[in-house]
Amino acid sequence: MFGRGGSRGKRDRDLQPGASSWQPPQQVRAAQASSSGGRGGKRLPGEQAVPAYTPSIAARSIDGHLLRTGYEVYAWYRLAPQRWSFRSDSQRRDLIAAIAGQYAELQGRWLHLRVTNRPYPIRMWAEAHVHNAVGRPQDTPGALSFDDYLIGEQQQLMGRSMAEKEVYLGVQVQTRRAVDRAVERAAPLLRRILPEAVDAELTALDSEVEHLDQVIGSAGLEGRPVHAEEISWLMHRSCSLGLPAPRSMPAVPGSAWEPEDLASFTDAADFHSEPYAPTLTVRGRTGSNAGVSRHVAVLTVGQMHGLQIPEVDDPWIQHADRLPASVEVSARIYVRRPEEVAAELARQMNKVRSQVKHYTDEHELEPPQSLARQAGRVLEIDDEMTSGFTALATRVRSWWRLAVSGPTERDTLRLAQQLLDLYKPKIAIEHPEAQYAMAREFIPGEPVASGAYMRRGSVVWAASSVPTATAEVGDRRGILLGETCTATRRPVAWDPWMAQEIRDGSGLTAMVAGLGAGKSFLGGGIVYKTLRAGAHWTILDPSGPLSRLCDLPEMRPYARPINLLNADPGILNPYRVVAEPLLEHFLDEDDPERSWRREKALAGATRRRLVLDVLSGVLPYEIARMAQSRIVLLRAVRAVGGRFDADPGQVIDALRRDSSEHHEHAVVVADFLDEMRERMALLIPESGEDPYSETRDDRLTVLTMAGLTLPKDGVGREHWTDAESLGVEMLNLAAWLTQRSVYEKPKEQRKGVWIDEAFFLSEVPTGRVLMNRFARDSRKWNVRVLLSSQIPADFLKIQGFVTLLDSVFVGRLDDDDAQADALRLLKVPVGVGYEQVVAALGRRPGAARGGLERDREPRQFIFGDGAGGVERIRVDFSGPHLEHLRNVMDTTPGSKEARPSDKIRHEEPAEPGAELVPQYVASPPEDFEVEPDFELQAELEVGLTDEQILDSPREPRATDSGELSGELHNGQNGHNGQGSQRASAGKGGTGRDAA
Amino acid sequence: MRIRTDDEVYRVDAVWLGPPKATFPWRARYVAWAVGIPIFLVALTVERMVGISFGFFSTAWAFIGTIVITRLITSKISHERPLGAVLTMWGRELTAPRERTSGDGGAVSASRIRVRATRPVPKNRRRSGGRSKRGSGKPSPSYHEAQGTPRARRDRGPVSAGR
Repeated sequence: MFGRGGSRGKRDRDLQPGASSWQPPQQVRAAQASSSGGRGGKRLPGEQAVPAYTPSIAARSIDGHLLRTGYEVYAWYRLAPQRWSFRSDSQRRDLIAAIAGQYAELQGRWLHLRVTNRPYPIRMWAEAHVHNAVGRPQDTPGALSFDDYLIGEQQQLMGRSMAEKEVYLGVQVQTRRAVDRAVERAAPLLRRILPEAVDAELTALDSEVEHLDQVIGSAGLEGRPVHAEEISWLMHRSCSLGLPAPRSMPAVPGSAWEPEDLASFTDAADFHSEPYAPTLTVRGRTGSNAGVSRHVAVLTVGQMHGLQIPEVDDPWIQHADRLPASVEVSARIYVRRPEEVAAELARQMNKVRSQVKHYTDEHELEPPQSLARQAGRVLEIDDEMTSGFTALATRVRSWWRLAVSGPTERDTLRLAQQLLDLYKPKIAIEHPEAQYAMAREFIPGEPVASGAYMRRGSVVWAASSVPTATAEVGDRRGILLGETCTATRRPVAWDPWMAQEIRDGSGLTAMVAGLGAGKSFLGGGIVYKTLRAGAHWTILDPSGPLSRLCDLPEMRPYARPINLLNADPGILNPYRVVAEPLLEHFLDEDDPERSWRREKALAGATRRRLVLDVLSGVLPYEIARMAQSRIVLLRAVRAVGGRFDADPGQVIDALRRDSSEHHEHAVVVADFLDEMRERMALLIPESGEDPYSETRDDRLTVLTMAGLTLPKDGVGREHWTDAESLGVEMLNLAAWLTQRSVYEKPKEQRKGVWIDEAFFLSEVPTGRVLMNRFARDSRKWNVRVLLSSQIPADFLKIQGFVTLLDSVFVGRLDDDDAQADALRLLKVPVGVGYEQVVAALGRRPGAARGGLERDREPRQFIFGDGAGGVERIRVDFSGPHLEHLRNVMDTTPGSKEARPSDKIRHEEPAEPGAELVPQYVASPPEDFEVEPDFELQAELEVGLTDEQILDSPREPRATDSGELSGELHNGQNGHNGQGSQRASAGKGGTGRDAA
Repeated sequence: MRIRTDDEVYRVDAVWLGPPKATFPWRARYVAWAVGIPIFLVALTVERMVGISFGFFSTAWAFIGTIVITRLITSKISHERPLGAVLTMWGRELTAPRERTSGDGGAVSASRIRVRATRPVPKNRRRSGGRSKRGSGKPSPSYHEAQGTPRARRDRGPVSAGR
């Protein structure tokens, strides 16, 4: 290396002044430097007086992710956070084994594990949120302005100490030789005469570093080499240990850090301590921390009991995350070579034997029991190490330090005591002397301060600390939902449109919770906050309390509650609730016209299917289940076609005109439908009237159906009254109406649809069609679809629903089966004990139980964000700026705001007919003929072919709503007695009252 | 998965009970012997230096003193904190930086700096220009040594106030 570089360097030097066209970059720089100033090689007058700088820390230079001290080279990696909660034990065990395997690969090396914290950048969140809030509504005078709202959100978080955990791992690459150090010392000179020699040390390490990159980067630790900003952050946090995070970081140099540059870290703070003082003082000197001093206590991990890691105990370093203040962790781990350990074990064994002999032979005494135990353990370890093919028995020596800090010594010691308590009783945390030396251990590159409190164990033991286990869920730019409440406290932000816009996910969200578990509250909060950030929502709330959202002063100009039951006739016309596709929406496809025609055929088929379902749904059960009924209905529906301007009245007329062999039956069916005609007024428009003619662009539309009669739980389809079957069908049509609203807004606009009490989707055959449409279009049309129900089984019954789901909120559920179903929705292992978690969400034992006070604590949910994070969160809209929202969303009966009188007043403005925007009319092309294959394809998609309907005429009804729903209802009744109030009086009877 | 450390293996309490068949009435670890014997020797030396002559009682007192000091020291050490580590930590405590309550330097004074109103100029120019003869009028011989060459001064740039 040296010889080669030397000869080449000399040759290059000989050739230098422009002789060769190519020069290594290093030399170009040197040549430029020497030519530019014109004083290269000459020392400036007086330069000798400038003292050489030696950093006060061991680190000397940082090149990329390599940190060099005088004697060692370390490669630093940033480790990826790992999910821990809501994973099965076997997954956790696999994770530990993977990490242990990686440690075992690093035999003979020192590792430096550092856990530091980056305070939750609430300022950055706010910035990102504002940038993300495109097209937000104008502030209403006299109401909470957007700025005040955002300030309130930030203040709500500011009150708490929340930080994001960052885990770094330094791995010793090589010890440095005297030659390397000499080269480094002579670097300024060498760079001119022998530039390759300066970098020779690091270039020689290339393959070694690559190997390490690969080992650390594989599954388990999933580390990647640190960036310049990250190592700078780590150095900064370590050199000013315990101080608040700097508000601005010094700029990161583009090239390597030279020893002089390290002063930017070391000068930021200084440490001092009194002899044998319990804490040391860190005083900031520069930047935002100038003049700030903190007391830091460094604790160390003492003796440990046996732990049952994935099953009973959390990863042991994770206990520290529960402390309300941030804890810095530094661990020095030396992975030992097996032969070294074997020799040591033999020595220990000899020690034990000679002691036993000393007791028994020389003094004729009973040896203590501990000696026998120790001998047994030595044999055990020896056995572990010699048997088995995996390296999981590799041994480590390690020192684990934890640092807490506070503004005064008293605060710090209190935190230290809390930390001690957190680790009790299985792990002893010690408070050693030599605080200053221990604090320096946190700085990358520093040596271990003292050999005391050494922990020895296997790599599995070291891996089971899992410092990377986090409780991350949600994203960093959306609305604030609250905070996680498992092992860590972390704010949870969620952008409902991120999945569609960035991750290419669907926009389906299921919200499942029992009565009073805070479903409406959570949904209302999401709607309110996203509306402020510029989204458009359409809410279908059969019982009606959500219409009070429209009454919030800042929402009022943009919101409209509509009681569908008071609306114009024809508002729920099944031909109209399915939107007509517009050619302009397909312009981005390869063949716009073709896709548009296909879509048009599909819309027609969907309408026919919908009409067929609705009409057979409102027929008496006995008639509906007869094959002839379906045959004549299907024929009539076919005759009418799938155009948007048709209506069910035409189907009834077509029935009367039926001239086939079932003519009589057709007339009977038509008579039955005519009988219902009055009650079906909403479905059949008056001639010449078009309820969709009025255009209004509202940001929030709340559709209520207060007064709708819905079947009681536990009543089978065959026992439904006419009004009840009509109610279910109307609810279904209303759901289609909300879906229609999506297509009336620009494609890229953020839209939301929330269907409360979405249980009926599984009761009608078109429910699944609707779900598929939502899932398919939510991404294309940028829609977030919230579906809430009290029974997770309602969703699971819809075929393929779980795969379409993006995110899930699960609140408290009391029933065992419901809990298991909820876990299935979350894609969390079932039957390993998480059911208990669902049952215990937000339930506080003891004193509060018998109290007369209402439980106003924030509710807890399990939130699966669709990007892999599943965590228990506390929904927290408790900021003072959201008080009006809380009052409005308090749907509990008897609460001040939930008076029916209020409701009626709100529903008055629901002028009939003023319905969701038109713009519906897709200009039908001149001579448009539906291509037969599109037609067939579309019918197949919505299940409208003859075979599907007639071959097994009972099939759709029987499986989809008859037997299954009976079963479901029985089931619900069996285990959820409260369920019976769900639809009709679910929200404190408001539905009935309003009617 | 039961996970535990290997620490138990290394916690062997190595004691020396005494010579074979002559069991001492106490049990002391080897480390206690290793600490006690030098202390006993030191105690005897100190007695001699103070002027206490060798005798039964002086030795007995030294012995008792040794036991007390040894017990004190061994109470500070354990398997977790071996003697070496305790000594190292003691050393680190001593060498840790202390808070500096008194700043060094104190008030800065410029009173020792000689101030002249005019700069010295070459003799011939002074004569032709007929300048006033205030000041010493003669450049100090050590001027160039103290300030460096004029060229160097030009290169150096402004000097900050505190220097």
